[in-house]
Amino acid sequence: MSSSPKKLHIPVEHTTLSNGLRVVASPDRSAPVVTVGVYYQIGFRLEPRGRSGFAHLFEHMMFQGSENAGKMEHIRLINSSGGVLNGTTNYDITNYFESVPSNALERVLWLEADRMRALKVDDENLRNQRDVVKEEVRVNVMNQPYGGFPWLDLPPIAFRNWPNAHNFYGDFHDLDAATLADVQAFFHAYYAPNNAVLLMIGDFEPAEAFALAKKHFETIPPQPLPPRADVSEPPQTEERRGHVEEKFGPLPAMAIGYTIPPRESPDWFAAAVLDPVLHGGRAGRLHRKLVLEDQIAVDLDGGADIFETNGPTQMVTRIFHKPEFTADQTIAVFDSVIREVQEREIPAEELDAVKVKLRSDFYSTLEGGMGAHMPRFGLMHYLACFTLFDGDPGRVNGILDGFTGVTASQVQAVARKMLVPKNRAIVLRQPSNLGGAQ
Amino acid sequence: MSAPIDSPTRVTMPPALTPERPVAWPKRTVRTLGNGLQVVLAESRNFPKISAQLFFRSGNSLVALTKPGLADMTAGVVRAGTASRTSRQIEEDLRRMGAGLGSHSGADISAISAAGLAEFSGGILELIADLARNASFPEDEFERERRQRFEEVRVERTTPGFLANERLRAELFGGHPYSVVAPLPEQVAAYERADLQEFYRQHYVPSGSLLIVVGDFAAEDMLERIEKIFGDWKAPEAAVPEWPAPPHIHGRRVHLVHLPGAVQTQVLLGNLGINRRDAGWFELVLANAIYGGAFHSRLVLNIREQKGYTYSPRSSLHSLRQYGYFSVHAAVRNEVAAATLTEMFYELDRMRSLPVTSEELESAQSYLTGVFSLGVATQDGVLGQLSTIYLDRLAADYLETYRERVRRLTAENVMEAARAHFDSANAQIVLVGDRHVIARQAVLFGEVTEYNAPG
Repeated sequence: MSSSPKKLHIPVEHTTLSNGLRVVASPDRSAPVVTVGVYYQIGFRLEPRGRSGFAHLFEHMMFQGSENAGKMEHIRLINSSGGVLNGTTNYDITNYFESVPSNALERVLWLEADRMRALKVDDENLRNQRDVVKEEVRVNVMNQPYGGFPWLDLPPIAFRNWPNAHNFYGDFHDLDAATLADVQAFFHAYYAPNNAVLLMIGDFEPAEAFALAKKHFETIPPQPLPPRADVSEPPQTEERRGHVEEKFGPLPAMAIGYTIPPRESPDWFAAAVLDPVLHGGRAGRLHRKLVLEDQIAVDLDGGADIFETNGPTQMVTRIFHKPEFTADQTIAVFDSVIREVQEREIPAEELDAVKVKLRSDFYSTLEGGMGAHMPRFGLMHYLACFTLFDGDPGRVNGILDGFTGVTASQVQAVARKMLVPKNRAIVLRQPSNLGGAQ
Repeated sequence: MSAPIDSPTRVTMPPALTPERPVAWPKRTVRTLGNGLQVVLAESRNFPKISAQLFFRSGNSLVALTKPGLADMTAGVVRAGTASRTSRQIEEDLRRMGAGLGSHSGADISAISAAGLAEFSGGILELIADLARNASFPEDEFERERRQRFEEVRVERTTPGFLANERLRAELFGGHPYSVVAPLPEQVAAYERADLQEFYRQHYVPSGSLLIVVGDFAAEDMLERIEKIFGDWKAPEAAVPEWPAPPHIHGRRVHLVHLPGAVQTQVLLGNLGINRRDAGWFELVLANAIYGGAFHSRLVLNIREQKGYTYSPRSSLHSLRQYGYFSVHAAVRNEVAAATLTEMFYELDRMRSLPVTSEELESAQSYLTGVFSLGVATQDGVLGQLSTIYLDRLAADYLETYRERVRRLTAENVMEAARAHFDSANAQIVLVGDRHVIARQAVLFGEVTEYNAPG
């Protein structure tokens, strides 16, 4: 018993200022709140060689003070306006975002413009944030069971080109080597209006919001952008494997990654449908086989970040398996599931169900996406990626049709092409003390 | 684009806030069915989805002193089969409706929650009802789940944050069931299927339970549908005991949990306190926001932004059904474990000794009231707020009056709350780290008791 599906249409308006800053607005008057973000087209994939972790360290510096807002002023101004803020560093983008009551919209734009115009930081700020970042790495990676698994473990095994293959969080000696001059040079190279998109989601009239954006951002001069780093990978000829020691956790784990087809290609759409056939929670074929039926694994999940990357990207399966099974036994069962999707088309019923779930998950992401206090973060995030990578924020309203149109034979074809040894990498995360800490 | 364009002069001061637009608090439809199930509905029609959660007022605290974690294990196996659906069918039904499902128990509640496309509202609610009424606890699913949990518990016991929390709860709550937060692996291994079935029979009942649905529907239609699906469910209400109070704790003590090879120290301190139903709750929420509950708080400014000891220091209020507690945590580099505690206590005592500035007070009031309105701008946010209100049996106008209750508080209120509930003199200190590296710092703060991490 179900009613007919409703098609969601997101209002999207966009413009480009004379300095090259792209501005995207999506009004939603249902609650008096706005979510604002500035996305720069620079991520850890593109950080300078020999400066691993720099893009992320730099992101911290963006909270340390700008021309007219000193250290802690950004945070104080947003919190005391009733809002929350954060920033994240990703493969190909770094973002800064705020959710606030809508009466603080102009204040947020002023702050983001101020730090796009000029960063004002000193050596003490840099030392302080270097210390903070090291504790971030310790708490998230070095002092946690399975820390960094597999997002830091797999790239150095899967890829050969430094931009794709280095330690994104940063080696401590590289972090120590970073200077204030590096910070300013990085800022001037990448933090230019013509390398960014400003997004405003929520309670405003678009004309007013665009006028405010123009008022605060348009006088920021554009910069000549450095040539984009070559992130292409040399052809892979055989499966790649590596090992990482697990210091704390008692269970053997592994991650298996397959490089997905290029963004927006026909195969990319098919791969996006194949992904939940394999993963897709407990109904996914891998979880069903390895966890529920054969009970080799105690936990399995995975997937690909299809929207937010713009370069070599993997669909990754994470498996925690029982110590009484070997890695090879686990991989053999995994491979049997892969063979199934290569040998037989998936049934129509399964294909339809996966598409329904894709649509539902897409809506959920658009509505929320980053905790309970960042309404429409996901919508903002997708609009940014569609703007920066595809040149069209309006893709948010058409992208689902691309998935809906995928056929069972296309899924099978991409499985045959993509899920092959010479397109995959495996990392084994093995406890140094198998059988558990004593 | 044609819009009024201001002259392109540089603005060097932060613009003032414009007049606030009123918040449209979600309209609730509240009804208690004939079988005692309380139903709370809120329309939220921007996205064609619904989010539903069915709460039972029985959780892990009922079994904490006998079979820890059994309630959560029960909730886990509830989704693994019913009289008419196999585990696989349940998962496939969910996917077909674009839905995700969770079932778990906390200290005081057990819950089944599902969210999916609004066009499948009926099917999603029928599935929740099927799990709540007809779970069959298949033997093989029980065995599988028990082994999975056994392994999960072993992993959990190598996680510094978990170990710190487990130790603090044990110290603060003594013989009270809240003292046990998770089972040991051997306790999981001893679970029996019949225990789960018995917990399910007694506690998965309509009377006194709560069903909240938020999303894209008309409340009247939804109510009718719920009446049809849940109305004929009958079972006697479950009794939930009141436990005797935890012991009074006198004096600071240090509890060092030894985690060999740790490259960081997990610092956690806390004291018993009040819960959300206490008259002084709002004062304490405000005090916490100024002390360490927000990015722009004294603790974060001090030990992160000035001293660089840690990435993510925070203080938190925990509201349980019978009691509450206050805690402060930070993961710090080993050399500054003692220095971190010194600053945590300094900032606590400053809150107790001196009134906060009017700038801090206003800033924190704006923060709490603004964030509160952000929190009801999504379906899940509304569901979270409604569950707080109706589980804790708070006033019906809690949403509408929250911001006013925060705004009218004074610096004196904040200091009084800090004096009453930031009990620095009797706080219990937990350090999770390598004893060889941090023991000499631990003794600076009181008598030290050592524990081994894996239990």
